[in-house]
Amino acid sequence: MRYDVARLAGPSDAPARRGRASFDGPFFVLSMLLLAAGVVMVLSASYPRAWYDPGNVTGGNAAYYFVRQLIFALLGVAAMLLASRVPMALYRRCAFPFLIVTLILLMLVPLIGVKANGSRRWLGVGGLTLQPSELAKLAVILSFSALICRSRGNMRSFRHGILPFAGILAAIIGLLVLEPHFSASVIILAIGAVMLFLGGVRIFWFAGAFGAAGAAIAVLLTFFPYASSRINSWRDPFSDSSDQGYQIVQSLYTIGSGGLSGLGLGGSRQKFLYLPEEHNDFIFSVVCEELGFIGAALILCLFALLILRGWWIAFHCRERFSFLVVGGVTSLLAIQVFLNVAVVTNLVPCTGISLPMFSYGGTALLIQLFELGIVLSASRDVPAH
Amino acid sequence: MAALTKTSAPVSRQMLRRGAVLAAIFGAGATAVLLARLYHIQITDHSFYENLAVSQQLREAPGAAARGTIYDCNGNILAVSASVDNVYLSPAEIETNGEDRELIARELSRILGLDYADVYEKSGRRGSWYVTVARKIETDRADAIRRFKAENRISGVRLETDSKRYYPNGRLACHLLGFVGTDNYGLEGIEARYDKALAGTAGKSLRATNAYGGEMLLHRYGEYRPGDDGCDLVTTIDATIQYYVEKHLRQAVLDFDVQNGAGAIAMDVNTGGILAMASLGDYDPNSFLTVSDSAQLLIDGAATKEEAAALLAQAQARQWRNKALSDTYEPGSTFKIITLAMALEEGKAGLGDSFYCGGETHVTGRTNPIRCWKSGGHGSQTLTQAVQHSCNVAFVNIGQRVGAERFYDYCEAFGFLKLSEDPDASLTARTGIDLSGESGSIWWSKNTFCSKKNLSQLAAASFGQTFTITPLQLVTAVSACVNGGRLMEPYVARRLIAPDGSVRYEHEPKLVRRVISEQTSRTVREILEKVVGDPTDGTGRNAAVPGYRIGGKTGTSEKVSLEARTGQKEYIVSFIGFAPADDPKIALLVFLDTPSDRSGIYISGGQMAAPVVGSMMADILPYLGVEPARSASDGAVMPACVGLDLPEAGEKIKAAGLRYRTIGSGSTVTNQLPAAGTVIAADTEIILYFDAEVSPELETMPELTGMSLEKARDTLSYYGLYLSTRSGVTDMARQTVSGQSVKAGTELCHGSIVEVTLIDSDEGLLGRY
Repeated sequence: MRYDVARLAGPSDAPARRGRASFDGPFFVLSMLLLAAGVVMVLSASYPRAWYDPGNVTGGNAAYYFVRQLIFALLGVAAMLLASRVPMALYRRCAFPFLIVTLILLMLVPLIGVKANGSRRWLGVGGLTLQPSELAKLAVILSFSALICRSRGNMRSFRHGILPFAGILAAIIGLLVLEPHFSASVIILAIGAVMLFLGGVRIFWFAGAFGAAGAAIAVLLTFFPYASSRINSWRDPFSDSSDQGYQIVQSLYTIGSGGLSGLGLGGSRQKFLYLPEEHNDFIFSVVCEELGFIGAALILCLFALLILRGWWIAFHCRERFSFLVVGGVTSLLAIQVFLNVAVVTNLVPCTGISLPMFSYGGTALLIQLFELGIVLSASRDVPAH
Repeated sequence: MAALTKTSAPVSRQMLRRGAVLAAIFGAGATAVLLARLYHIQITDHSFYENLAVSQQLREAPGAAARGTIYDCNGNILAVSASVDNVYLSPAEIETNGEDRELIARELSRILGLDYADVYEKSGRRGSWYVTVARKIETDRADAIRRFKAENRISGVRLETDSKRYYPNGRLACHLLGFVGTDNYGLEGIEARYDKALAGTAGKSLRATNAYGGEMLLHRYGEYRPGDDGCDLVTTIDATIQYYVEKHLRQAVLDFDVQNGAGAIAMDVNTGGILAMASLGDYDPNSFLTVSDSAQLLIDGAATKEEAAALLAQAQARQWRNKALSDTYEPGSTFKIITLAMALEEGKAGLGDSFYCGGETHVTGRTNPIRCWKSGGHGSQTLTQAVQHSCNVAFVNIGQRVGAERFYDYCEAFGFLKLSEDPDASLTARTGIDLSGESGSIWWSKNTFCSKKNLSQLAAASFGQTFTITPLQLVTAVSACVNGGRLMEPYVARRLIAPDGSVRYEHEPKLVRRVISEQTSRTVREILEKVVGDPTDGTGRNAAVPGYRIGGKTGTSEKVSLEARTGQKEYIVSFIGFAPADDPKIALLVFLDTPSDRSGIYISGGQMAAPVVGSMMADILPYLGVEPARSASDGAVMPACVGLDLPEAGEKIKAAGLRYRTIGSGSTVTNQLPAAGTVIAADTEIILYFDAEVSPELETMPELTGMSLEKARDTLSYYGLYLSTRSGVTDMARQTVSGQSVKAGTELCHGSIVEVTLIDSDEGLLGRY
C-alpha cells in the first residue's frame, strides 16, 4: 500500500538516507481530496457574502475568503509534509513544552485576545489570528499520550490514571470558560476522554464522568434560562425561526433544498445571505444544497475512509505513543466532523464547531493539516506488508 | 539523540480492543447516523424545506399593468394613471449596515411630512425587511429621497414603483367616474364597473433575491409573466355638457339653499348614452377620502374618536352616493308625461278631448277627494291645457281611462317595473345601466294596484305619486316618449380600446323595446313644448330659452314618508326638459332635494328646477350646434361711443335700445360703461364719461333675488353694474330674478356684468305641480 504520491515527502531513496519509510498513501490522498473539496466549497459558499460585503470586510472582492483559504491550504500542506518528516519521538519529547506554551497562550487570551461576538477567543499576530483552543486540542492529545506512556501499567489507579489528566483538563477548560468557549471545551473534554479510554482507564470512571456531565447539564438547564432556551430552539427551531431558531432553520432549508442530487456545484441559493456562517460553521449545509444527498454522502464517506485509514495506521503502529497520538488525532477529526454535521442537521443543539478541511479559517486549517502530518509521520513507522 | 530514539512500550491488546471500538463508532456508526439524518432532511422532507426556502428566496413583484385612460366622447381625458413611488424601509438592512436611524427618520419625516417618532419606530422593527412609510408619492419627493439615499449611502430606505390615478378635472363627473383605492382597485362608478377592463392583468415577476432583497447573483431564477395593460375607455360623457350641468346645478343649490343635495342627468335621447350626470354634494376623486369643510367641522367637533370615525364614514358614504342613480323618489308631475303617452297610444285621450277640473275629484275606494294643486280648479281644458296646467284632476281621469292593468303594462314597457308571477309581490326594476350602485324602483303589487274596489293607487300614480323610481329611470322613459317611442338602455361606456389600438368592445345603442308609436311620440313632444313655450299657459315657461324649442314638464313631490315620520313638509322639486322639441337630441332632468324657502322663491319645480334646466339648455344647445330660431338673447348690444360727441353717441345708444346718463363736462366721450359689444338687458341706463375717468372704487353687489327684471336692471345700473340674462325675456315687469351669478356682498369693479336667471312668478303659477 505504498503509492508514488508519497514521493512528495519520502522519495524512494529516503529510507536509505534517513532510516524512515515513506508515509501512508491512502491517508494522504484522502486528506488531499477532502482539502481540495473544502477549498472549492469555500469559494462557492463565500463569494456572495464577499461580494455583497454586508459587514464591510472584503471590500466587495468575491474571491476574498477563497484566496485566503487557498493560501492557508497550501501552507497547510507544506506544514503537513513537514510534520510528516518529524520523528514521533520528537513529538513525544515536545509534548509537555508544547502543553506549557499552549497554556500560556490560553492565559494570554483573556488579557490581550481579540473580541468577537461577545467572546475573546483569538490572539492576533500581525493581521493573523489564532485560536489557542485549536492548539490545546493537539496539546491534550500529545501530552496525554506521553503521560499514558510514562505511567505504564498504572492507568487503572486514580492517582496515576485520573489525577494528572484531570489536572491538565481542568486547567485548559478553566481557561476556556474565561473566554468563554463552550464548543472547544466540549471537544477537548471528549478528546481527553478518548485518550483516557485508549490509555486503559477503567470503564467505571467513564460511567461516573457521564453521570456527572448529565447532572451538570441538568443543573445548567434548570438555573440558566439561556441554556434552556437553546434547548428549546433545538427541539423546535421553527417556534422562533426569526430569532433564536433562525440559524438552524435556515440550515435545514439549505440542506433540504438539495434533495437527492443537489442544485449543482455553485448553485446554492441559501448562501445569498440567508444562511449565516455559510462559509464557516455551516459550510456543510451548502455542500448538501449544492451536491445533494449523493454529494454529501460522498464527502461523509471520504471522511469515514480517512478516519478508518487513520485507525488502520494506529493499529499498525509498533509504539504505544504513536498509537495513542494517531488514535487521538483521528478521533479529534471524527468528533469534529460528527459534531459539525450533527449541529447543521439539528441532531444536537446549535454550537459553533467548524468542519475540518472545509470551514473557512486559516490557522485552524493549518493546525488540522499539521495534525494529519503527525499521523503521516507515524505511518512511516508502519512496517511494509 | 537518546531521547529521540527512545521508544515507548508496544501497543497493548486492551488498547487495540478499545481502539477498535472507537474506530467502529467514529468510522461507521457516526457516519451511519449522519447519513440517516441527511436522508431524512434531504430526501424525505425535501419538498417541505425546498418550498420554505423558495418562498423566502422569491419576491413576487406585481408587474406593471398600466390602468387604462378614461376619455369623454370628444377624447378629453377624464381619468389617467401615472407612475409614482411607494417608500418603504428595510429595518433588517438598516441594522446590518449600521445605518443611522435618526438621520433616516429625520430626513424622511422632513421630505414626506411625516411624524419623526413614527418613522423612527418603523426603522427599528427587528427582523423586518419591508415596512411601508408612504404610498404613492410624486416624482419630486421621490427624487429628494433618491438624493438623500445617494448622498448618505443609505440602502435601508427603498422605493418601489406604483401607479396613481389622476382626475385632471377634479370634481367634474366624479360620480360617473368613481375612484380608485390605494391598492389600485376601482371602487365606485365607471372605475368599479369597468375595473377589470381598465386594470388589465398585472404581470408577475418572481425574482430570486438575497436575504436583503437585492439581486441573487448569477441566478436567473423564477419566471416573468408580462401583464396586459388595461384598455382605454371612451365614454358617452361630454365633459363640456357635464361642466355646464354641474355649474348650474351648483348655482341652484346655492340659490335655493338646497338642503339634501341635488342631481341632474343629461341623456342622448336617441341612443340612451349618458352625456352628463351630476350629484351634489360631491367630492374630488383625487382625494376621495376628504369630506366637505362643513362635514369636517362636524367631525372635528365630535366628542369621541369612535363618533368622529362614524361621522367621517357617514360623510364619505354620502358624498360618494350618486343620487341620480342610487336614490329613488316619487317623480310627481314629471310622470304625467308617461301617463299622457300611454293614454295617447291607447287612444284613451286625444287632442280634441276636454277635461273638466273643479278643484277636486272623487275616486272609488277613497273617502277624501283628490285635490288639484290649484284650489278652485282649472275649469274646462283641452288635453294640451291639462298638461300645460299640470292638472291633477284631469290626469286622474286620464289614468282611469287607461285602466290599472294597462297602466301597469305600460309602466313595465317603460322600464319602471317588472311584472311578477306573484300578483302580491311588490314590484321593482332597474335600467341596467353600466354603472355600479343603481337602485331599483318600488311599486305596489299588481293585486293592490289593480283592485277594482280601490282606484286610489291608480289615481295617485297617474300624477306620479305612491311609487318611487330613480331619476335615471324617468329620464330613460321620457327619452322614449320623445324620441319616437324607442326605449333605449342607458349606457356610459361607448368603446374599449386595447393597448394595441384595436377596439375591444364597441357599444351599439341597445333598443330595449318600442313602447309607443312615432305618431304618439310626436304628439307628446308638441304638447310638452307648449308647457315650456307658452308664456301665458305653460307651467314650465321658466325653462324657456329664447330662440330654442324646448319641451318639458315640472315636478314637485312631497317626501311623504318624511312627513309621516316627522310632520315636516319637505319637497323634491324637479324639471325634465328636452330639446330641440321637434327633433330632440338631449333630455335633461334636474332635481333639487329639499330646497328651503329661505331663498324667498316659492318651492316648486316650475319656480326652482325649470330655470336651472333653462340655464343649462342655454349653454348646452349652442354647444351642440343647435341653431337658434332667432337671436339667442333678448338683450341689447352696447355700442362703441368713445371719441364721439354727445349727439352721435346718444343716437347710437338709442338705436341699440338703451338709455344713458353722463358724467363729466367735456365735448367727446372719453370712457363708457359697459364696454362696447357687451350684451346687457334692454333699456338699461348706461354711462358716458366726458373728460372723466371711471372711478376705480369697488361697488358691493346688491341682492337681486325676488326683484323684477326691471328693478334689478335699474338697481345695478345705478351702481355702474350691468345685467345680462339668457332666460327668455317676456315681461320685464313680471319676471323676477331667481338667481345671480355674483353673490350679494361681493366687491365688483364698475362695468362688471352680472348674469341673472329669471322666473315668472305669476300668482297663477305658484303651486306644487
